[in-house]
Amino acid sequence: MTDAATQVDADEVRRAVEGVADPELPAVTIGMLGMVHHLEVAPDGTVHIELLPTFSGCPATEMIERDVVTAVHALDGVGEVRVRFRFDPAWTPDRIDATGRERLREFGIAPPGGAVASPRPEGRPTLPLAIGPASDPRPCPYCDSDNTVRESSFGPTPCRDLRFCEQCQQPFEAFKTF
Amino acid sequence: MSATDATTGHLPDLTTPRARLLLVLADDELVSGHRASHWTGVAPSLEEDLAFSTIAQDEINHADVWYQVLLGEDHTDVRAGVDALGLGREPDAYLHAIVCERPPTDFAFSLARHWAYDRFDVVRLAALAESSDAAIAAVARKLLHEERYHLEHADHWFGRLANGGDEPRQRLHDALARVLPEALGLFEPFEGEDAAVDAGLLPAPHAELRVRWAEIVGGMLDEAGLGDVLPAADATAPVEAAGGRLGRHSADFTDDVWPEMTALYRAHPGSRW
Repeated sequence: MTDAATQVDADEVRRAVEGVADPELPAVTIGMLGMVHHLEVAPDGTVHIELLPTFSGCPATEMIERDVVTAVHALDGVGEVRVRFRFDPAWTPDRIDATGRERLREFGIAPPGGAVASPRPEGRPTLPLAIGPASDPRPCPYCDSDNTVRESSFGPTPCRDLRFCEQCQQPFEAFKTF
Repeated sequence: MSATDATTGHLPDLTTPRARLLLVLADDELVSGHRASHWTGVAPSLEEDLAFSTIAQDEINHADVWYQVLLGEDHTDVRAGVDALGLGREPDAYLHAIVCERPPTDFAFSLARHWAYDRFDVVRLAALAESSDAAIAAVARKLLHEERYHLEHADHWFGRLANGGDEPRQRLHDALARVLPEALGLFEPFEGEDAAVDAGLLPAPHAELRVRWAEIVGGMLDEAGLGDVLPAADATAPVEAAGGRLGRHSADFTDDVWPEMTALYRAHPGSRW
């Protein structure tokens, strides 16, 4: 019998892992988000995968682990699949690649970094609960206007906050910076 | 049930200085998160409902991560181990400060505690980022990034109430006058703290963290004209809020948070969710 590792294509494993969709942001994959830190195929066919969680408390990590295991198990020659989440190095938003940023924008979520709008001018009325000028202003993902405010630091998931575009009057979400 | 039940897998020795340090870190977060969750569905606005619910989720997951560090990378069943540590101990084995277990009371009280606690949490995490223990230092650095959002929320409301007119200002003042003396319980040493400090696991003792914290919160209180509520440098936690680090807790924990938090775990030992 041939050695299992000779049958496992490491590049194929990487493509399978990187192609797993984020369960909370199905438009982007964990590869686009830069969550794949290390990947190794042992001689006995065991695949070791190290992932970086975005937020430490992200409830999607268990689903991601399950989806990664399923995706890699489907490949020829793969034995056991071991997924480990690690905090060192810490994941930061600059790990999101260009495709991921564009997909997030298309999904209605302003990506972190990149083009940064000017600070909002004085004298504009704010909504009663607005927490004021955002420390990281974002252009609107729909109309590209810089005329946006952050309404809340907390959104539907730990990694997203709530914004509002004064130009097109559209609420949107932004991927948090750290 | 005990933490050494057969359903939990092997648990490490919980009496070492490193284990006690990690229980202190995790238990503060777990109980703070549990109390934050009590605003879910009843906060004064939808935004605050989201804020406290998110903070609760963050803090409880931070506890989860600290428990994982305590279990170690080679633990055979991490989820069962984390549940055993978070939900399977008797009340007197929890090492959080008593201020964390107080009920939400009213929104001013919750905001005052949120501010006092998160200002403390950030000071302690900054110290732990330099821990001699690589796993502890890595987690502390990761959590520091995330705490920024809690701090921004807490500071925002501190400023908003302090400058919000007579009634909000008075209510913040009264809440701080209740919270800050009890918050001194956060800075009591745990059993084995000297050894943890000597080994560099905890780079600064809680007594030193208190000095750093008091400098920051004292400056903010002075600036807001609320400096009278800062406890004196030699003040200690009132007796009813002291001893949490040694496992002594009030009825707010033993008869309220603990039974609620552990009810499902105790009713269905070994369940997975």
